[in-house]
Amino acid sequence: MTRATSLLYLDGVSVAFDGFKALNELSLTVAPGEMRAIIGPNGAGKTTMMDVITGKTRPDSGEVFFNGAIDLTGEDEASIAELGIGRKFQKPTVFESHTVWDNLELALKAPRGPFATLFHVITGGEKTRINQLLDLIRLGDKRSELAANLSHGQKQWLEIGMLLAQDPKLLLVDEPAAGMTDAETAETAELLKDIAKDHSVVVVEHDMVFVRALGVKVTVLHEGSVLAEGSLDHVSANERVVEVYLGR
Amino acid sequence: MPLLRSLILLFSFIAGLASPAFAQGDAETLRPLINELAKGKYAETEQQIGALVATGDPAVAPALRALSAGDLFFRKSDGQVFITEKAGKSYKLTDPLTLETQGEAGRRDVKKIKVNNKLRRVIRSALGSLTLMAADPKVRRAAAEAVFKAQDPDSIEALDTAIAAETDDAVRTVMEQARAAAVLNSDLEEAQKLAAVETLSEMGNRSALSLLINVRANSEGAVHEAASSAITTIEKSIAAWDSAQNIWYGLSLGSVLLLAAIGLAITFGVMGVINMAHGEMVMIGAYTTFVVQELIRTSAPGLFEYSLFIALPLAFLTSGLIGVGIERGVIRWLYGRPLETLLATWGISLILQQAVRSLFGPTNREVGNPDWMSGAFELGQMTITYNRMWIIVFALLVFAGLMLVLKKTPFGLYTRAVTQNRRMAASMGIRTPWIDALTFGLGSGIAGIAGVALSQIDNVSPNLGQGYIIDSFMVVVFGGVGNLWGTLVGAMTLGVVNKFLEPYAGAVLGKIFVLVFIILFIQKRPRGLFALKGRAVEA
Amino acid sequence: MMSSFLFRAMDARAGVFLAIMAAVIILVPACNLFVPEESPFHVPTYAVTLMGKYLTYALLALAVDLVWGYCGILSLGHAAFFALGGYAMGMYLMRQIGTRGVYGDPILPDFMVFLNWQDLPWYWYGFDMFWFAALMVLLVPGLLAFIFGWFAFRSRVTGVYLSIITQALTYALLLAFFRNDMGFGGNNGLTDFKDILGFDIQADTTRAGLFAASGLALVLCFLICRSITRSKLGKVLVAVRDAESRTRFLGYRVEHYKLFVWTLSAMMAGIAGALYVPQVGIINPGEFAPANSIEVVIWVAVGGRGTLVGAVLGAVLVNFAKTWFTAALPDIWLFALGGLFVFVTLFLPKGIVGTVSDGWTALRQRRISSDFGEGSGDPPAQPPQSPAAQANVPEPVPATSRAGAVHPQPAE
Repeated sequence: MTRATSLLYLDGVSVAFDGFKALNELSLTVAPGEMRAIIGPNGAGKTTMMDVITGKTRPDSGEVFFNGAIDLTGEDEASIAELGIGRKFQKPTVFESHTVWDNLELALKAPRGPFATLFHVITGGEKTRINQLLDLIRLGDKRSELAANLSHGQKQWLEIGMLLAQDPKLLLVDEPAAGMTDAETAETAELLKDIAKDHSVVVVEHDMVFVRALGVKVTVLHEGSVLAEGSLDHVSANERVVEVYLGR
Repeated sequence: MPLLRSLILLFSFIAGLASPAFAQGDAETLRPLINELAKGKYAETEQQIGALVATGDPAVAPALRALSAGDLFFRKSDGQVFITEKAGKSYKLTDPLTLETQGEAGRRDVKKIKVNNKLRRVIRSALGSLTLMAADPKVRRAAAEAVFKAQDPDSIEALDTAIAAETDDAVRTVMEQARAAAVLNSDLEEAQKLAAVETLSEMGNRSALSLLINVRANSEGAVHEAASSAITTIEKSIAAWDSAQNIWYGLSLGSVLLLAAIGLAITFGVMGVINMAHGEMVMIGAYTTFVVQELIRTSAPGLFEYSLFIALPLAFLTSGLIGVGIERGVIRWLYGRPLETLLATWGISLILQQAVRSLFGPTNREVGNPDWMSGAFELGQMTITYNRMWIIVFALLVFAGLMLVLKKTPFGLYTRAVTQNRRMAASMGIRTPWIDALTFGLGSGIAGIAGVALSQIDNVSPNLGQGYIIDSFMVVVFGGVGNLWGTLVGAMTLGVVNKFLEPYAGAVLGKIFVLVFIILFIQKRPRGLFALKGRAVEA
Repeated sequence: MMSSFLFRAMDARAGVFLAIMAAVIILVPACNLFVPEESPFHVPTYAVTLMGKYLTYALLALAVDLVWGYCGILSLGHAAFFALGGYAMGMYLMRQIGTRGVYGDPILPDFMVFLNWQDLPWYWYGFDMFWFAALMVLLVPGLLAFIFGWFAFRSRVTGVYLSIITQALTYALLLAFFRNDMGFGGNNGLTDFKDILGFDIQADTTRAGLFAASGLALVLCFLICRSITRSKLGKVLVAVRDAESRTRFLGYRVEHYKLFVWTLSAMMAGIAGALYVPQVGIINPGEFAPANSIEVVIWVAVGGRGTLVGAVLGAVLVNFAKTWFTAALPDIWLFALGGLFVFVTLFLPKGIVGTVSDGWTALRQRRISSDFGEGSGDPPAQPPQSPAAQANVPEPVPATSRAGAVHPQPAE
């Protein structure tokens, strides 16, 4: 796939922290509408890759393009989010002293400037949208509950809800199933598949059952670069992947 | 007159070589000469001075000096001459030869021996030649320096004699310089003057410079040329020495900053705790020194020279224990809430200040300098005071000691482990609460010994700490948190920069510039000069 | 749009506050001016001035609360903005003295004559006009805050670092204003004021007027702060306070938000300073002292940060205590103040108002949940939860300490 037709295009991206190469000539392409799972052992560079895409970390070298034409390396977090890339963190981070409703209202796609928000009055359309999302993430009865009082799983879901409220073109989801029960994991996988119908999604996950449930193309990262790519069965058959995972 | 003078000098020279008993002179033979001073007018006085100098006895020097200063009086009743000192309405009398006190006299009982500027000049040069031959090299040196200042061409011969006889190289150099100064002020031939300019050029300090500038203005031809080029040379070397002196002052200020900041670097850098009461730990260290010195003064005055060494461990313990108390009592409840810690420790600092104020009073307390901390010596054109020098040495020793503790001891290892990953360290069986308390105690204790050092150069008052807290924070923030080397470099850089700004901007404006510079610097490098990088920082 | 903006400010709590303020603004001057002196209801003039001073402090506390309580920016330099506003007003008052000064110079203030200055420095131009001075009261602190904030927030200086450089800022200004050649009266500052807007500054009526003006300024700023904190912008500010980087990833430009409240807060502090100076009759560099800024923070902490009423209450309470202590037990005051810092941070992290309203909410919720327990019917549909997660829900940890534990603001 060429840069022009891709949604997300990383080429030769390297990041080093004090000599430690977190990303090493990483190249990765995600097509519009695609859902991609990224797996890899600890320290493979998964989170750093997310940081580079969302503008938290500047790459030392390499190109990062969004929508084929927009260079992300020169943008900061806020403008990248405005471009349409949403991110869910590994550790669920929601605004604890806001209610569930307020969390969603803050995430909702709307003008982001201080004066726009100062004079903002919530519209009927926005209310409908928040209600829809509350139904989707099943927090309807918790709408006026403080986010701090939610359980771990509920926070994960709320964060996914906030991600959807942003209405991004690309969702970056970091370990959505961490700390969830099997049933929750399965439901989360269903939710993500649902979302993937009209969004592009990149999921980072350790849980192989979860990745299998998603049933999408898998990229294996190791020591900051791509080790293998293909279906889960294809990469599990790869000698090097087995070696890396089992440490043989 | 010159002939007479050289005869006198020759005589005094022989006298100087002869037995010390003769040099001490006989008070009874000198006394009539001195008492002569009470008689006659200026012209006679000048002759009388000459007669005194002719004895070649340094014992007449105090009388002459007193005469020049207008302190020489004679008693109306018996014409006895005394050195006097005004004491209320009467005068305290001192014998001009034995220098013993001779009681007092009313204002009307004594009369001043008049002196004018011409006489003063005579006395100055006479004193110069008189003392050029003294037995004590210090006196000879002082005499040569006096001649240098007077630039009296009449002393050239005396100097020649003295230089020939001089055994001490350093004193001879000074005498040669004095001679050069005198030569330049005389009407001797050009070659002599050129040699003199050469001598002064080698001397290379400010007094040589101002002398040469005079010469340049009042001379022509070769001498003028030579003086100009000598001036350029000296100005260059003085500029270099000035920079060196500035660097020295800067390092001195830097070491003070280092001492104040290094404890903070531990608590702030290693533990992430903002200790606004840090300055008060310094203050407590200084007061510990005060208490130690008071105890020594009352019970064992002989130990005064060692008072600082006794105060050091005590200050470390006092401040350290208070630090541990603060950590156990307050700070440990506030980990992870740095802003609250800041406020709580600020409250503690207020309490400590007020406690010290209640105990010791609000005014400055006198902390004495032991002998080895006072005085100064010259290094080239620089003046180096002992207290500043020892504080630089001490600051570096403390730094090295702290580095050793952190790098080489188990305690240091634990501390670093807790710094990097508290939870992991706890799982490895390290008692993190104890490490926290001890680290905080260490930081506070070091602040305490910094207080011992600062008591030597600063006023010991309850506000002592307040003066250092902002500067210390600046140092730590500038150097980079969590890095002791950064603190060292930061302190020294800020000290030197401050001292280099001072001549141009003045002390206050210089300080403002430094503050503004740091504010801008933090914008550029929010984590300081030596920042930790990588994932650990993000967490 | 504007009406909804202001309307948002009103609710029961704001109503109570406004009612009390209205009573104070009307009754205190009235009891001073119209009640005869022998009456027990007479308020002496010194008390009016003292309370007027408290009101300006309350306004300053409000300004600090807006940035600290709602946006998490702990400013240890707000005294700088307060003092700058005060100096702007002081310059106006100095120029009003005219020929009544000791040296009788129609243009130059006394201290300039004393220093042998020939001309008025350019930055003193215009301060003979009240409107210009009033504009400067807003602009000077606002501009300084804007420039400082623009640099600091853009390069993401946060937390303790920001606190320390705000302290450095006010410290630098303190040193600067001590210098005679700055042209602000050096050590002595500006004083010996005669009149303001043509009224004698010592007169009872002027004092009462200044008191009322302070009260009105406080009410106005309270309403502005309240509309801000209850708007969506206010929610973004709290989001920034609790999870700054999350807010960025939602697409909010955090530095713009911080800059907005920071500048606004500095202007409010400037107004407070401008009202303070004519009431106390002097402004000197001591107002810049870093210790003053930190003291403001403790007023807010005592009253309850993140609650506007709390900031006002805290400022008045602590200053009342200070007045009483420094008169009755001067040696004890610093112990009390220091102890207050420690006590509030350890045991009252939400301050008086925060703790009281928490207790109130908890009480009400218990009543609601007991009502709910008595009702029949299926429990509402729950999202999937692990047992461990469920056990987490009723954890009785107060929200702040939990927030602190989950999101420790790293000491960076």
